[in-house]
Amino acid sequence: MNLESRKLVFIFLFLLVGIVFIGRLFYMQVIDDKWIERAGEVAKRKIIIKPPRGILYDRNKQKVVANKTYYNLMFVEDDIKDFDTVAFSKLIGISVDSIEQRFAQIKKSLDRRTRSKKTGNDTVVNDYRTYLPHAFLKELSANEMAEIATELPDFKGFYEHAISMRDYPSPHGANIFGYLNEINATELNADRRFYNVGDFIGRTGLEKYYEFSLRGQKGVKVILSSARGKRVDNFADGKLDTNAQQGPPLHLGIDIDLQAYGEKLMENKLGSVVAIEPSTGEILAMVSAPSFDPNMMVGTRNIRKNYRKLYNDSLKPFYPRPLAAEYPPGSIFKIIQALVGLQEEVITENTGFPCTQSLVGCHNHPPASNVAKSIQYSCNPYYYHLVKRIIQQGKEKSIFKDAAIGLSLWETYMKSFGLGIKPETDIFGLRSGVIPNVEFYNHWYGEYRWAFSTIRSNSIGQGEVKLTPLQMANLAAIIANDGYYYEPHLVKSMGDDGPLDKFLVKKKSMVDPQHFAVVKEGMRDAVNEPYGTARRARIDDIVVAGKTGTAQNPHGEDHSVFMAFAPLDNPKIAIAVFVENAGFGGTWAAPIASLMMEKYLKGEITNTYKEQRILDKNFIANDE
Amino acid sequence: MNRYAHKSEGWDWFTILIVAALLFMGIVNVYSAAFNPERPFIFDLNTLYGKQIMWIGIGLFLGIVISLIDSDYIRKLTPLAFLTVLVLLILVLFTEPINGARSWLGVGSMGIQPSEFSKFTTSLMLAYVIAQGRGKLISRKTLIAALTVVVLTMLLILIQNDTGTFLVFTAFFFVMYREGITFDPIILFFLNNIFGFRYKETWVGVHFIPMIFMIIFFSIITLYLTESVHTYSFLPGVDVKGWVLLIVSLTMLAVLVFFLVHQFAAQRSKKKIKSILVISYFIAIGYVGVVSYTYLNVLQVHQKDRIDLWLGKIEDQDGKDYNRNRALAAVGSGGFSGVGYKEAILSSPRSGHVPESETDFIFSVYSEEWGFIGSATLVVLFTLLLIRIIVIAERQKSRFARIYANSVAMIIFYHFAINVGMNIGIIPVIGIPLPFFSYGGSSMMSFLIMIFVLLKLDSQRREVLA
Repeated sequence: MNLESRKLVFIFLFLLVGIVFIGRLFYMQVIDDKWIERAGEVAKRKIIIKPPRGILYDRNKQKVVANKTYYNLMFVEDDIKDFDTVAFSKLIGISVDSIEQRFAQIKKSLDRRTRSKKTGNDTVVNDYRTYLPHAFLKELSANEMAEIATELPDFKGFYEHAISMRDYPSPHGANIFGYLNEINATELNADRRFYNVGDFIGRTGLEKYYEFSLRGQKGVKVILSSARGKRVDNFADGKLDTNAQQGPPLHLGIDIDLQAYGEKLMENKLGSVVAIEPSTGEILAMVSAPSFDPNMMVGTRNIRKNYRKLYNDSLKPFYPRPLAAEYPPGSIFKIIQALVGLQEEVITENTGFPCTQSLVGCHNHPPASNVAKSIQYSCNPYYYHLVKRIIQQGKEKSIFKDAAIGLSLWETYMKSFGLGIKPETDIFGLRSGVIPNVEFYNHWYGEYRWAFSTIRSNSIGQGEVKLTPLQMANLAAIIANDGYYYEPHLVKSMGDDGPLDKFLVKKKSMVDPQHFAVVKEGMRDAVNEPYGTARRARIDDIVVAGKTGTAQNPHGEDHSVFMAFAPLDNPKIAIAVFVENAGFGGTWAAPIASLMMEKYLKGEITNTYKEQRILDKNFIANDE
Repeated sequence: MNRYAHKSEGWDWFTILIVAALLFMGIVNVYSAAFNPERPFIFDLNTLYGKQIMWIGIGLFLGIVISLIDSDYIRKLTPLAFLTVLVLLILVLFTEPINGARSWLGVGSMGIQPSEFSKFTTSLMLAYVIAQGRGKLISRKTLIAALTVVVLTMLLILIQNDTGTFLVFTAFFFVMYREGITFDPIILFFLNNIFGFRYKETWVGVHFIPMIFMIIFFSIITLYLTESVHTYSFLPGVDVKGWVLLIVSLTMLAVLVFFLVHQFAAQRSKKKIKSILVISYFIAIGYVGVVSYTYLNVLQVHQKDRIDLWLGKIEDQDGKDYNRNRALAAVGSGGFSGVGYKEAILSSPRSGHVPESETDFIFSVYSEEWGFIGSATLVVLFTLLLIRIIVIAERQKSRFARIYANSVAMIIFYHFAINVGMNIGIIPVIGIPLPFFSYGGSSMMSFLIMIFVLLKLDSQRREVLA
């Protein structure tokens, strides 16, 4: 065999390998897209950018819920070099031991329990990575950060990271705005596409109801990430990036100054003030007393400090009284009874009833010779007679059957005034109040075993009937509007959009407009005429119409109730004030409502004596 | 005087140009693969590119020194060089292992790897030992001496735990094959003494080395592809099975080679080569068929799994096969024309997704940045260089020079084939450098000296009487 020809074997080998390599390279690089996808999987990393939350403005364009920049002190363990713990402990003001503890704590917080598929045993996996950033200190204020910032460059591996948190320029309206808290597991699982562990989410109030708008749209920044998870460059020159969009601003119907004033008046008292603009249904103020400074619930540091304290407070500052507290309305309920009576034609404007005090207690007043006077004097027996006519219309021979028919009819009236049903407004935590109906009494007494006399207390707003302060205010608005209302709501417009569609629907009560004049007359006289029960609600040069209530209750002193609207001929504000255990409605609730209306309509208080009397009064101290 | 004038004529400029081109491309590529933005100056000796340039400088200096030595002295110095490196290979066994291998000798970063130089000295020594023998046939004594040289070095490298270099040393068996050393005596021994045949020689025995290579090569490719399914945009709705693809590829390759032979082969050997080609083609097809059938239908699941694991078909993308997977992704994402110089996404030093991207996986950086155009150019350059060295080898009158040249060709071929093969995923990960490309002082110097000695021997080829 010719050995020289064996060089061909070598050349053949070289050519074979060369051709196979070029073929393989052509396939990998030109034909097969698999590797480009794989490269993307390996090197592309999406950074989610969450915008600051939408801003809330009051009706006068004042910022009421804003954002403020806070700072997290971050570190990357791999980048920490020549760490002088003593100097660092001095800088951030914690002991050297605490620094070590904090590092250990961060590591431990990333422990995750997993169940082994093979053995079924729980094992702990730690997700801490030395090359990823972690927060050493969280939520430092700008001032706190400024103290550290100058010396921070001396500590390699530590850096500041700005975050956005809520800020309340005016420390009022906590029960309206609600607060944010770190997302919990249920909320996280409900929307994993948006939220991540550690995100804040609206927990109560408007923050919760408008969460989907306020949180905005997250942006995505696609970066080229190194094997150690660090940003190397923008991916594809940022072509795949999308910008984060801040949620639209919410413009509220709230007048923050009025809200603040209401909270001031209600200091040291328990109860609610709800003011509504009758022509739109916008809530002007909604005071829940006692309240708290919403800044107390910003960020985990504050929440950890304050939540338990507020939650355990015996006066329940978290309890949204205007929405959820169901009270017997007392005499303010007479207004609606009168309206139903007129509509049902069981009485006329000039029907008079004797003040038969043997039926139900009353106070001394001139005879209630017509509807207006019955309101002015708030005559209890008058309404006993009146509601008896509504309930027992004589359509059935049996008074029991007759009462059932009457009550059913009455119930539909009540519902048309938004009572006994949950308002469909833009806040959570609402209750429906109680309008007792046929089933309700059948359940209590048995079918056909009750009649008007059994349920007569309801005539004057006692007994089983219960209203929330929001419903009371809305009742005032309905009267001001001669029979219709818009669902009371907080948000006037969201960005460029008007209010939610459901707030543009005009809801009509079953009482025709012509019946309201006489009722309004009575309410005007209650405030402005002698023997009127609400004379403390009088405002010079503004005609106020109002109705007091004094709600008996099993918890002690009567509740002081008042509902009103003003001015009479062109109502701009309808209001309900409820002060728990404060006694007669005309004494406390009426002047508070009067001050609120004056403040709103005139912008100033003329009767400082009246104001001072309210401010000085402390019902909470009396209780204790 | 005449003699020296003659000498300068003998430099092989084709080889020099290709090597220069590879060195240039290598430097440019290391500058990207190991770029340090704080030290952008290319000659900065604190950077890998600065050092690489320094290594090339030292290599060139040594090369120039070598080119001043008469080739006869080179031959005479061979045993000394071989023994020196052998001592270093023994010394290295007493060092602390780095990455599991005891291959570094020296202090800190200025260490050398004797195993890199041993490829050069063993090439020389093998040539020296075989050339000592007189006559065309190899005596038993020469054979034993030659095997001792190779096997002894291989053993020392195996003890070092440097599998890559160990594998490269099997290149010398090809050189022995070229010199007529065969495994035929062993096969004849069995056939004649045990089975009672009376053969003088067997084709299988004589061509044992290239046969083994081809069998391994085809087996790996067949096992790798046979089960896979491929879809092509120009064949919508058709799933091409791997084994079909293989047979089609083989046919295309055979047609290509047939055409090349028809055009370029010498007239007298044309017919013979064509018939060998046709026979080889059918044997290859048959072999692919048998291997595929066995793999798909005969093997048990656990046996298949073991093969798949070894081939890297079952991948643990982020674990054991991390390096390989990232390197493949880098190469594959280069596309037709690459992502651009210093624009590598996966394999850039900044992103660091491909480990060892300045040494064993440097091809992935180059491929990602220069795309198919660049990587195909590199493959062509290496293939041309290898063929050229074979051409140089075959024009030597001296057996010493011929054996040495063939050794150089086969060693560079092994490095090229294994390194690029693992970067494109047809060979398991074996850590050896790509000649003239990978960062590394010992390998760079060793390859440069190798080439210089080759050029020197070639330049004086006419003065030597074989």
